[in-house]
Amino acid sequence: MTAAALFQSALASLPEIVVITGACILLILGQLVRRGQEHFLVWASVAIVLIAALATLILSGEVRPAYTGMFVADRFAVFFKFVFYLATILTFLLSRKYADIEGIGSSEYYVLLLFALSGMMIMASATDLLSIYVGLELMVLCTYVLTGFLRRERRSNEAALKYVILGAVSTGIFLYGVSLVYGLTGTTQLDGMAAAVTGDPLDPGLLLAEVFIVAGLVFKVGAVPFHMWVPDVYEGAPTTITAFMSVGPKAAGFAVILRVFLNPLVAASDVWIIVAVIAVVTMALGSFVALVQDNFKRLLAYSSIVHAGFALFGVVAGGADGIASVMLYLLIYSLMNLGIFGIVILMRNGDFSGEVIEDYAGLAKSHPGLALLMLLYLFSLAGIPPTAGFFAKFYVLVALVERGFVMLAVIAVLLSAVAAYFYIRIVMVIYMREPERTFDPALPPLVRATLAFTAAGTIGIGLFPAWFLRLAQHSVLTADRLNLQ
Amino acid sequence: MGLPLLSLIVFTPVAGAAVLMFLRSDDAVRWTALAVSILDLALCIAMLASFDTTTHEMQFTERRLWVPALGITYALGIDGISALFVFLTALLGSICVLASWVAIDLKVKAFMVSLLSMQALMLGVFCALDLFLFYVFWEAMLIPMYLIIGVWGGEGRVYAAFKFFLYTLAGSLLFLIGVIVLYFNGGETFDILALTAQDLPFPVQSWLFFAFLIAFAVKVPMVPVHTWLPDAHVQAPTAGSIILAGVLLKMGAYGFLRFSLPMLPEASVYYSTLMLSLSALAIVYGGLLALAQDDLKKLVAYSSISHMGFVTLGIFALNLRGLEGGILQMFNHGVTTGALFLFVGLIYERTHTRSIAEYGGLMKAAPVYTAFLALFTLSSMALPGTNSFIGELLVLSGGFAANLAVGAAAVLGALLGAAYLLGMYRKVALGPASVGARFKICDVNAREMAAILPLAVLVLWLGLYPKPFLGIIDVSVKHLLAQVHDKGSGP
Repeated sequence: MTAAALFQSALASLPEIVVITGACILLILGQLVRRGQEHFLVWASVAIVLIAALATLILSGEVRPAYTGMFVADRFAVFFKFVFYLATILTFLLSRKYADIEGIGSSEYYVLLLFALSGMMIMASATDLLSIYVGLELMVLCTYVLTGFLRRERRSNEAALKYVILGAVSTGIFLYGVSLVYGLTGTTQLDGMAAAVTGDPLDPGLLLAEVFIVAGLVFKVGAVPFHMWVPDVYEGAPTTITAFMSVGPKAAGFAVILRVFLNPLVAASDVWIIVAVIAVVTMALGSFVALVQDNFKRLLAYSSIVHAGFALFGVVAGGADGIASVMLYLLIYSLMNLGIFGIVILMRNGDFSGEVIEDYAGLAKSHPGLALLMLLYLFSLAGIPPTAGFFAKFYVLVALVERGFVMLAVIAVLLSAVAAYFYIRIVMVIYMREPERTFDPALPPLVRATLAFTAAGTIGIGLFPAWFLRLAQHSVLTADRLNLQ
Repeated sequence: MGLPLLSLIVFTPVAGAAVLMFLRSDDAVRWTALAVSILDLALCIAMLASFDTTTHEMQFTERRLWVPALGITYALGIDGISALFVFLTALLGSICVLASWVAIDLKVKAFMVSLLSMQALMLGVFCALDLFLFYVFWEAMLIPMYLIIGVWGGEGRVYAAFKFFLYTLAGSLLFLIGVIVLYFNGGETFDILALTAQDLPFPVQSWLFFAFLIAFAVKVPMVPVHTWLPDAHVQAPTAGSIILAGVLLKMGAYGFLRFSLPMLPEASVYYSTLMLSLSALAIVYGGLLALAQDDLKKLVAYSSISHMGFVTLGIFALNLRGLEGGILQMFNHGVTTGALFLFVGLIYERTHTRSIAEYGGLMKAAPVYTAFLALFTLSSMALPGTNSFIGELLVLSGGFAANLAVGAAAVLGALLGAAYLLGMYRKVALGPASVGARFKICDVNAREMAAILPLAVLVLWLGLYPKPFLGIIDVSVKHLLAQVHDKGSGP
């Protein structure tokens, strides 16, 4: 690699470099921060992400391949990176007070989140199975640790252990698929794979490799049949980390799925059937099991499984609209899900955990404003207009029907009617029950700002989706390598 | 006119709801809500005053790009059919505020905000000229209505609200798929007028017809999917029942008129016999159920199923008299049944029972109340001189022209109507006094009178001189009928 090429590569990956360097510096500085000065960590972390975002924005003008085909900075990656920035910054803002209450406000918490962010960014930009693997591992290793961050709680330890073991297995499966691909095609680059696969349509070995890679990735987005870890890990992890995991790593998983599967394999095989079946089963299982949950975090875990299923329908639809629909879906989902988690997080105060749904009985009476926000997020998650959640679902359905999958669209909407039930049940508890306790939510300005931001997004994208839709479509179309149809 | 009149009509209640958020005292909230709804009604009357009854074209149209990438526009406009329902919605909106004046004493502000948002969304449904916009209004109504039933309703309100929500949601979601299929088959547009001009192949029409049917049938409600209605009606507060009966049930029938008939004419003609039979079933079945009720509110609720059967029967008779009668009955049902629910609410506020057996001899205790109750009971029975007579006569004559057996079933339904309504009136108003003795009951006061009078005037006006009302819808109905029969002459 010449010096010029190296410089180009470094330039293309400047945001990643900023985040990783920043995280390293923060790791050292963090040791010097005295008690009571923790807000420095929050602002430093936010500043690092903002600098990375600025770099991303400046570099977003053109497609920049880097590191000899391992990595690319294109519009597709930029879109996802901004989703990650959004998720990370909002998580930082939500974390401050919560970390104080739980006693987890050490600098490692922020550093690990930054490393996880860099892993996700690498995933979004990776164009080689190996760089995907690097990003993936960087991300999940950090989330393993973060899941177990409540060291004194058994639930948290158990969740982390479960996550590590299952995650390691899925990584092994993924790597096995990668090695099969390498053995059969002699390359791990996505472009090279595409050429090899289209050359020889149905090599059973390659099909097996596909299945392994699908399995590895599906684990990360929490789709059936690799969803088992989701409820336990979501429940056990600190709520801020649950909020983060439900949007960031999930979006990263989808970024990889879109890049891997819509590129080499759609043309080669009927792999969409597998994805369609996964999507249907995921949505069905998530919706029906969520109906009987009492724990809010578990319910949101199943809800995130349902949403993963719905987004997978967009993957099934494929094509420019299908990809754009998944991207828009993830952006909107991040906003509304972080919003609802924000409320769960601020409920954590004193001896009150805010994790049992019944705890919210009569919230509307004591905190009408919070209840109204919750109503907004819940109806958005259920996909009722004029919220953004409706438009997200609508666009996925448009993509499905456009490709002729009307039956799948019907299944998707019927299952969302089931899913609507459990969101509405929470509204019922909040609005139609008498309060059993007094609420004393921790409402610092940072959390208020987060909630205001997510609420504005949830309503704003719902009422004026045009700009965001164009952004998503634009991000797909300029990523010419994805535009196969 | 440069003024976006329809946007004003639709968004005035929203602005009013926003103002309510800042008010502190309950009375200020009530008066402001009333002022806003009366202002909205005044706007509607101004709209009707300059409404051109000689054209079937959409009037007061507004059009702005909303989501250009998908061809979605913010488009409003009304023809004769929607004009009538815009007016009805605004009128019942003011009456709902009056009806909840004392009945709602908890979380008054939230209630009035829900009520006003509901009104805005319903007006939006009747004004929308873009399918996507229509769907947004249509579906968003679930939120305030769910809260109105579930928060301020009776004992079993939570169950009723759930049932209402899930039934309508499941139906509407299939409608959404239908809308998207229509979008791709109709040249990638959501413009209702452009879609109406399309000529879709029969198999597509057929599928869409059933996708739409499920959504609209739930709202009407037609017989196999009607079970949410009695629950919702009985549990909802008075204002909720008035909205449900007065406007919400019209949405389904309006959907048939606005989408099924003009966009899917062949399928509408082809399946009209099925629809007629379902309507006849609803008329008779609803009547029989009403006959068996002791709960006053349930009786009116089941009678709604029967009456809405007349509406769908008129619509799918697919002739001029049937259609005009059906639309007029939609309006009449809104007025009459809205009034009956108001009366049920009034007496419930005084006695805290809805069991007919516990009433009796109200005539002595509350003569004005019973006199007006008589008027609306007779109107519900379609006695000559009242509004429903004209509509029912048109529906029956259209129904007989379309299908003899169905017409006969409808007549049977009308007889049943007389039976349960007269029986109800006898037990409530006549006979020995029982309530007067056990409860302290006072006659209607001025506020209640203000809510009753406009409806009573409409009952008599329509009954004695229906021409202005028929005049509003006439041209549009003829145009609609021409659309159906031009394109829908069978596969």
